[in-house]
Amino acid sequence: MLAYIIRRLMILPILALGVTMLIFLMISMLTPYERAALYVQDVPKRQGAIDGIIKKYGLDDPIPVQYWKWMVGNEDPETGEIKGGILRGDLGWSKTGKSSVVEVIQRRMPATVEMAVWAAIPMIGIGIWLGVVSAVNHNKFLDQILRVFSIVGWSIPVFVFGLAVLMIFYARLGWFPPERLSDWASQVVQSTAFMRYTQINTIDSLLNGRFDIFVDAVRHLILPVITLAYLNWAYLLRVTRSSMLDTLRQDYITTARAKGLSHHTVIWTHAVSNALIPVVTVAGVTLVSLLSGVVITETVFNYPGMGSFLAESAVTLDVISVLGVTLFGSVILVLGNLVVDVLYGIIDPRIRLD
Amino acid sequence: MKVLKKLLTNPTSLAGILLLIAFAGVALFAPQIAPVPERSRDPQMIPRDGFSTTPKPPSEEHPFGTTEGQYDIFYGVVWGTRTAFRVGVVITLITTLVGLAVGAIAAYYGGWVDELLMRITEIFQAFPYLLAAITLSSVLQTIYGRGEAAGLMFLAKLLAFLTFGHDLREPVDPIQLSVLTGMIAIIAFGWMTYARVIRGNILAIRDQEYAMAAETIGASGPHILFKHLMPNAVFPVLVIASMDIGSYVLSFASLSFLGLGAQVGYADWGQMISFARNWIPSLATYWYIVAYPGITIVLFVLAWNLVGDALRDILDPRLRRGKGAGI
Repeated sequence: MLAYIIRRLMILPILALGVTMLIFLMISMLTPYERAALYVQDVPKRQGAIDGIIKKYGLDDPIPVQYWKWMVGNEDPETGEIKGGILRGDLGWSKTGKSSVVEVIQRRMPATVEMAVWAAIPMIGIGIWLGVVSAVNHNKFLDQILRVFSIVGWSIPVFVFGLAVLMIFYARLGWFPPERLSDWASQVVQSTAFMRYTQINTIDSLLNGRFDIFVDAVRHLILPVITLAYLNWAYLLRVTRSSMLDTLRQDYITTARAKGLSHHTVIWTHAVSNALIPVVTVAGVTLVSLLSGVVITETVFNYPGMGSFLAESAVTLDVISVLGVTLFGSVILVLGNLVVDVLYGIIDPRIRLD
Repeated sequence: MKVLKKLLTNPTSLAGILLLIAFAGVALFAPQIAPVPERSRDPQMIPRDGFSTTPKPPSEEHPFGTTEGQYDIFYGVVWGTRTAFRVGVVITLITTLVGLAVGAIAAYYGGWVDELLMRITEIFQAFPYLLAAITLSSVLQTIYGRGEAAGLMFLAKLLAFLTFGHDLREPVDPIQLSVLTGMIAIIAFGWMTYARVIRGNILAIRDQEYAMAAETIGASGPHILFKHLMPNAVFPVLVIASMDIGSYVLSFASLSFLGLGAQVGYADWGQMISFARNWIPSLATYWYIVAYPGITIVLFVLAWNLVGDALRDILDPRLRRGKGAGI
C-alpha cells in the first residue's frame, strides 16, 4: 500500500513543474507592463515610472530568469524587500479584487466551499441511488424514464438551467433569491457581534445561535446547489447503472439469490458494495469537477465565490488574477485526484497490485 | 451500414437524427428563413431595431421578441445554428486530430517519447477544463488587443479558413476573431482524452495475434500502424468523438455566456442568453430572452447526445452482451 502511495506521490513534482511552466508560458505572452502587477500594487500610468518598474523587477529579462523569479520571489534592489514568488504564496495583485490575489482567494473561498459541500451530498447520494434503481429495473419502464432523464439532464447548459430555476423560483414565486445572503442578514454577519468561526454562513449562524440567518443562507443556497447537482446526477446515474449491471451478472449474486436471501439484501448488501468501487473514482472526479461548475453557477446566481471572481477578472482582462485563480484551481484538482487515487487503491486491492 | 440501420431503428437515436436534420435544414436555409437586412456587414451579426435597453415581447415583426439593445431573437436563433455547427464541427475535428497524432506517436514509438507525451498530456489534464479555457481566452484577447503575435494570427487565420472558409491572404475580421479565440481556448485543453484513449487502444491491439502475425510476415512498421492498428483503434474513437460536437457547443456557449466567446450582437446562442444576466429579477416578464435561445441550445445538444448514446451502445460490445443478459 505504501509503495502505491509513494508511486502516486512521485508524479506530483513533475505535474507541479509542468503546470507552473504552462502558466508562466501564458504570463510570458503578456507585455512587461502587464506583468508588473505580479509584483506591484498600483502599476503607474506614466512611461518613466513604468520603465523604472520594468527595470527594477527584471520584467524584460530572459524568460527562464523571469520564471525563476516568479517562482521564488523578486527582490527589490533598493530596499531588499522580496515581492511575488508563488512558492512564498504570493500570486501578485488583483485589479478586480483591489487586493492581493491570495487575499481575494482567501476571502472568496469559503463561499465556494460552502456551496460545493452542500451540493456534494445530494449530488452523490441521489446520483448513486438513481443508478441502482435504474439497474435493478433494467430495461423496464423506470429504467427508460431515468435514461431519458439523464440524457436530457446532460444536454442542458448550466446557465440555461440556472436561469430557468431563477425565472420560476425567484422572479415568479419569490421563494429562493440569488446572491449569498439578504441585505439585512449580511449586515448582521459583518457586524462585530457576529463571530466568524469558519466564514461558512450556514455553520457560523448556528454557532452564533442565529437560526434566522441560517434559514436565510439556506434559502440562497438551494437553487445554486440544485444547479450544480443536476448535471452530475445524470453522469453518476449512468456510471452506477452500468457498474451495477455488471455486478448483478456475477455468480456470487446468483448464489446469494439461490440460498434464499431477500431481494433487498442481495441488492443493497451484496451487489451495491462491489458495484460502488468504480463509482468512487467517478464521484471523486465529479467532486473535483465542481471547480469548473462553480464558475458558471456563481456567475448566474451572482454568488460571491471564487468562480464568479474568475469570470469577472477574465472579462476585464485582469490576466494576473485569472492566472492566479487557475493555478490555485489546478493545485486543488491535482491534490483531489491524488486523494481519489489513493482511496481507490484502499478500496480495491487489485489496483495497487497492478 | 449495420450501425446506420441500428441507429435508424432505435426510436431515441432516430429522434436525435431527425432533430439534427432539422437543425441542418435551418442552418442551410437561414437566408430564406431569416433574411439578411441590406446594409448588414456580416450576416452573423444580428440586426437591431432601435437602441432601447428594454427587451420587447414577441410581436409580428419580431416573432421571438428582442433582447436589450433590440437585437432580434428569431434572427439570432436561426443564424446561431450556423455558429453552433461551425464551432462544434471544427473544434471536434481539430481536438481529435491533435489527440490522434499525440496518442498514435506515443503508442507507436514507445519508450521516452511515450513517457514525455503522456506526461505533457497529464499536465494539460491537471487544469480544471473551463478555468483553463477561460484563462487562455483572456490571455489571447489581451494579445490580440495589441495587434502583434504573428504566430497566433496565423493560427487564427487557419482556423478562420476551416470555420468560415476565410481567405488565407486576407486579415481576420475582428468579429470572427472573438469567436476563434474561444475556439482556440477550448481546443488547447480538449484533446487529452482522445490522445489517451487512442494510445490505449493501439497498445491493446498491438499485442493481438493479427498484429503480431503481420509483423512476423515482415510487414513494415508504418504499414502495420496504418493498415492494421489505426482502423481498429481509431475508427470507434472518431465516431464517438464526432458525437462530442454537442458538448463542445456547450463549452463554447459557456464561454460566450461569460463574455469570452462571440462578441455582443453575434448570432450565438450563449451570447444571446448572456443578456438575461441583467434582467434576473424581472425574468418572469422577459422570459423570452432566455426561453427561445435556451430551448434551441438544449435541443441541439440533446440531438447529438441521443445519437451518441445509441452509438456507444452499438459500438461497445461489452454493453451489447449486457443487453441480452436481462436481470
